[in-house]
Amino acid sequence: MKKITHYYSLTPEWQNEFVEKLGGKFIDNKIIVIPETIGTGNSYFTQIIPGISVLFMDFILRKPLKITRRVSNNELYIFHFDLSEHVNLIKINNNHYEIGSYDKLDLAIIDNQIESSFKPSINKRTVAIRILVNKSLLNDFISKHSNKEETKTKNKGRKAVFYHYGNIDSKSILLIQSVKNKSIYDLSFETLLKGTSLKLLGNFFNKFYATAPSKKNITENEYEAINKTKEYLLNNLYGSFPSITFLASMAGMSESKYKILFNKCFNDTPNRFFIKEKMLLARKFLQSGEYDSLTSIIYELNYTKLSYFTLKYFEIFKRKPTEDFIKKTRHL
Amino acid sequence: MKTITHSYGADLTWIEKFAEQFGGRIEGNFIIMPEELQTGTRYFLDCGEGIIAYYIDVIYNKNFHFIQKNVKGDFVGLYYNLTEGKATVTGESRIYDVGRWQYNLSVIDGALEPDYDVKAGSRTYALCIFIKKERIKAFVSTHNIPFPDINLVTDPSKNTIIRFDRMSSDSYHLLNDLHKLKVGGPVFDLNLRGTVQLLISNYLKKMSTSRIIIQTLNTADLSNIISTQIFLIEHIEDHFPSIAQMAARANMSESKFKNLFKKITGLTPNKFFMENKLIKAKELLESGQFSILQVSDQLNFTNNSYFACKFKENFGISPKTFVKQL
Repeated sequence: MKKITHYYSLTPEWQNEFVEKLGGKFIDNKIIVIPETIGTGNSYFTQIIPGISVLFMDFILRKPLKITRRVSNNELYIFHFDLSEHVNLIKINNNHYEIGSYDKLDLAIIDNQIESSFKPSINKRTVAIRILVNKSLLNDFISKHSNKEETKTKNKGRKAVFYHYGNIDSKSILLIQSVKNKSIYDLSFETLLKGTSLKLLGNFFNKFYATAPSKKNITENEYEAINKTKEYLLNNLYGSFPSITFLASMAGMSESKYKILFNKCFNDTPNRFFIKEKMLLARKFLQSGEYDSLTSIIYELNYTKLSYFTLKYFEIFKRKPTEDFIKKTRHL
Repeated sequence: MKTITHSYGADLTWIEKFAEQFGGRIEGNFIIMPEELQTGTRYFLDCGEGIIAYYIDVIYNKNFHFIQKNVKGDFVGLYYNLTEGKATVTGESRIYDVGRWQYNLSVIDGALEPDYDVKAGSRTYALCIFIKKERIKAFVSTHNIPFPDINLVTDPSKNTIIRFDRMSSDSYHLLNDLHKLKVGGPVFDLNLRGTVQLLISNYLKKMSTSRIIIQTLNTADLSNIISTQIFLIEHIEDHFPSIAQMAARANMSESKFKNLFKKITGLTPNKFFMENKLIKAKELLESGQFSILQVSDQLNFTNNSYFACKFKENFGISPKTFVKQL
């Protein structure tokens, strides 16, 4: 196996050493053509704006190759988007990660202060975009990232040295797909790549900063239907609970779906929600001073046993109904 | 009618005067204008390398007459204009209708002084990109682009360019995506810079493949073709209407219709229709309100496996994968 070590910098200089070790042609400080003995393909490197550079790789290897990135003094983050249709290996801190093919995890963010190596599969097309970003541009991101506990995120104890391993969002996949089909020798390729990379970062941060749990995967129609049944319950507090079957058919869903969605919307089961609202109404009656006895109130609310009512009331308010009861005073 | 004399440029010096003319002010990268004149957002960003982006998303509450008098003529402006309403550009003593369904991409030399008129009630969504001429020249020479007029274009004492065109559908969808984002903040800036680069890339691609320049077409033919385009977009959920029917609508023979349609949009009618349908499908899926089956039914695909197949063909991933990783 051929092994290559190299380092990254925001400027094109790092490629000199890389090309020397790999062999192959180096064009215009941007394009590296992989030598025939190893495989076919090329990489394209360009600076986008100060602090952000991009490396695009598209090649098919014939011999195994291990590319190890050394720790360098540049303060960088590396965003690795992999769209290969097979699995490549990334090794970070002696852990192997499979990356590539869009139903696997395909996004890795690596700190420049951790050594990592990249082992592409052989005889398969490897397509990846690596965006190098200066740390100072991302201070805000780092501080947020360390206190946001994401799955698959591991924070190393030392200050702000971390890596992240996750999924690319669909919009970004579409963007990378459009780059994949272009020739790097096209004159519009450079601007295309620059634009795509910026949008990739944009998408990533957009997703990152959007507070995840705000959307509960409920469509508007479903929400409306659930709300309708809630209104129905509130308007019929004097009766008994209308049954899940009835409510579900009112919302046009199966019973189980209805129960799940109701719980998502109001964090309670329909029946518990109903009883709670009923008890709030009961308390209003109790404190109103317009009733002679507790029994008249519970009959009003369609309860037949005072003991059952008292029990439910106590469950919700931790008080007995008699403590809240204000008796109707008769003016003689 | 409010008349505003202003300048544009590939640096940020024009902005202050521009805001002043309106009686507005600058806040960060926003230009805040008085509500009685217009409502909406104006945003500018220096994209580096002599490129300025100027984002406009406003509704005009009065008739406006803009007179562009540039201090420096050392730049070229690319105006991607998706106005819904009535807007015209007067340049070199001709009047051109601009807007989403008119000429929606104008390339105007900074040495010219075009007038821009827009009627009250128009909703303008536009992205203007100002590029230094030196940048274009350097770019063209390093990439060996066959661009015969380059010296004429970049030498201010000689000829100047003014060109009216229609943007490619790629560019249109890029702008549409940008429009969905909340303006301001680093995420938007990244997207704006990215969009600007991609638009320039699209434009370069178009220039290098020397497609027909729309301005040279018969205007009646052009507006007929565009009206069929509007028709297709408005009926995007239906089945594809036949070529015969659309040719009749455009008052042309079928072969002429097919030819012209392809020249103007760069796509055949059927492909144009399918592409827009799939983009609509993508938007519906993105909204998270519909299942894949619902989308495929709503857009009148015969069955959802055909829909999935087309979706994959166009975007490279299946609708299911798309939804899963949204």
